[in-house]
Amino acid sequence: MWRDFRSSSTAMGGLAITLLVLAAVTVGAELMSYSPTGMSFTTVLRPPSWAHLFGTDSYGRDVFTRVLYGARVSLLISGCGVGLALMLGSLIGMTAAYFGRLYDLLVMRLMDLLFAFPAFVLALFLMVIIGFGVVNVTIAIALVYVPIFARLAHSMTLAVREEAYVQAARAMGQPPLRLLAREILPNIAAPLMVQASIGVAFGVIIEAGLSFLGLGVQPPTPSLGTIMADGQEYFRRAPWVLTMSGLAVCFALLGLNLLGDGLRDLVDPRLRKRAT
Amino acid sequence: MKTIQFILARSLGALATILVGALAVFLVMQAAPGDPALAVLGEHATPEAVAAFRAEHHLDAPLAARFLVWLKGFATGDLGRALTIAGGASISQLIANRLPNTTFIGLYAIFFSVGLSLLIGSLAAVSRGKLADTAVTSIAALGVSMPDFWLGYVLIFFFALNLAWLPSYGFTGPFESLQGALLTGLLPALAISAPMTAVFSRTLRTTLLESTQRDYVTVARSFGFSQPFVFRHYVFRNSIIPYIVVVGLQIRYLLGGVVIVERVFGVPGIGSLMVDAAFARDYPVVQACTVVFLAIVMTVNLTVDIVCAVLDPKRTR
Repeated sequence: MWRDFRSSSTAMGGLAITLLVLAAVTVGAELMSYSPTGMSFTTVLRPPSWAHLFGTDSYGRDVFTRVLYGARVSLLISGCGVGLALMLGSLIGMTAAYFGRLYDLLVMRLMDLLFAFPAFVLALFLMVIIGFGVVNVTIAIALVYVPIFARLAHSMTLAVREEAYVQAARAMGQPPLRLLAREILPNIAAPLMVQASIGVAFGVIIEAGLSFLGLGVQPPTPSLGTIMADGQEYFRRAPWVLTMSGLAVCFALLGLNLLGDGLRDLVDPRLRKRAT
Repeated sequence: MKTIQFILARSLGALATILVGALAVFLVMQAAPGDPALAVLGEHATPEAVAAFRAEHHLDAPLAARFLVWLKGFATGDLGRALTIAGGASISQLIANRLPNTTFIGLYAIFFSVGLSLLIGSLAAVSRGKLADTAVTSIAALGVSMPDFWLGYVLIFFFALNLAWLPSYGFTGPFESLQGALLTGLLPALAISAPMTAVFSRTLRTTLLESTQRDYVTVARSFGFSQPFVFRHYVFRNSIIPYIVVVGLQIRYLLGGVVIVERVFGVPGIGSLMVDAAFARDYPVVQACTVVFLAIVMTVNLTVDIVCAVLDPKRTR
């Protein structure tokens, strides 16, 4: 399988970019000579240069350093949100498909209802209810993604449920929950992982959007959205803050999306091969 | 006749979903912390003022009664007044004023996405091979990686600030001046459509390639039918249906883009209304906007279902 992965240029490219971004965000951020919150009123709003790769913002802070720290926050939020949604959604979808009947009907109808709301509108609505802040944005992203994972896990479990090995396990008397974990879950994990990697990318966009509007992460905590919000205020005078931080977001998300696409190409033909 | 039955059934289903969704929104809103009376009048308001406010807005009536009154409001067009937005204007008036703008920008964006993706997708399908594959995947991935509002600002920077071809802020409604709307709405629509175009192009390319590789296409060509004939009668319908389904699915994300882009470009639409209301803790307005968005999504889904049913009657099962 690793050989297949290696031959896919999109997957390898995506993996390379993602690893680079992760390295920059964890280790690289610490190596920067500037502090993300260190203000310096002598170097306010400087354009990009070798000293300040992305320039400085209105408080004289180095934008590149802020972006690295902000990306850390954004990726953490999105990663945790999607991870939470993955666990909860898969559980809901799998159990609904396996146990069926009324539970299935009710639960999947609820998922359909959640799915009917536009993603960002749902997140926005939730922020109004539970308030702003890092944890709440994570919850909002999780809520947006639970129905997606639930529906995916549900349809996959329905397909796998009738397979011979599942029937055999049931005949052997394996308890249902263990059956779900040991027989079904490994066989539906791949598409879920693909969806998760794409989900983290979109989660970052949701978080950036919420924070940009001022309804997500609150300053002074740096996140990709709050940095872009800062840049928006001075856009005419200093367009580089918004533009460069946005480019950084694009780069990071490009890695995640390419990785997801590569994984998806890997997963689909394998499924088709297994069916024949 | 089966098609008409199908359409009716789907329409009822959509309506039911909107009703249940409205109920869910209403109930969840009630759980929001904070007393709207205090939020509007301030923490130092006198008890009499608070009581008067609550009486005026029927905040003490039982839950079921309040929900039914609110629901009726959708039908009769009276959703009550905003708590703080626009000096307490009628919510339905606010929505009625802004809905055409949001719808216009949304349709404009769909127009761009579908149009551009039909072009790009077909071109990409015609030129097969590893390079085309990688190129299309990379462009598609890039499109999806861009935050809409960031792209909006980049477009503003180039086209409005530097080249001064287009205005950078504000929006003329389509009923005031269609030309003005097309001009001021161009940049917002482009910003929203970028990720959509990427996804649609890739989908069209995939479906086109899959369709042309089918056996019946080979057979048709071996009969001597011309390429355009084969395309129109064998390939088009089969590839366009999954494409339309994907378009419908993406509306969820497109509407999200509309909300932020409206803020960026200063378009007075439902999205910016919702954001303003969110800041002002104006719960009734947020509630109404959420349900309006739900209704838009359900309408689009219904339209997609109907179009697909017309194109492929097998779907009416």
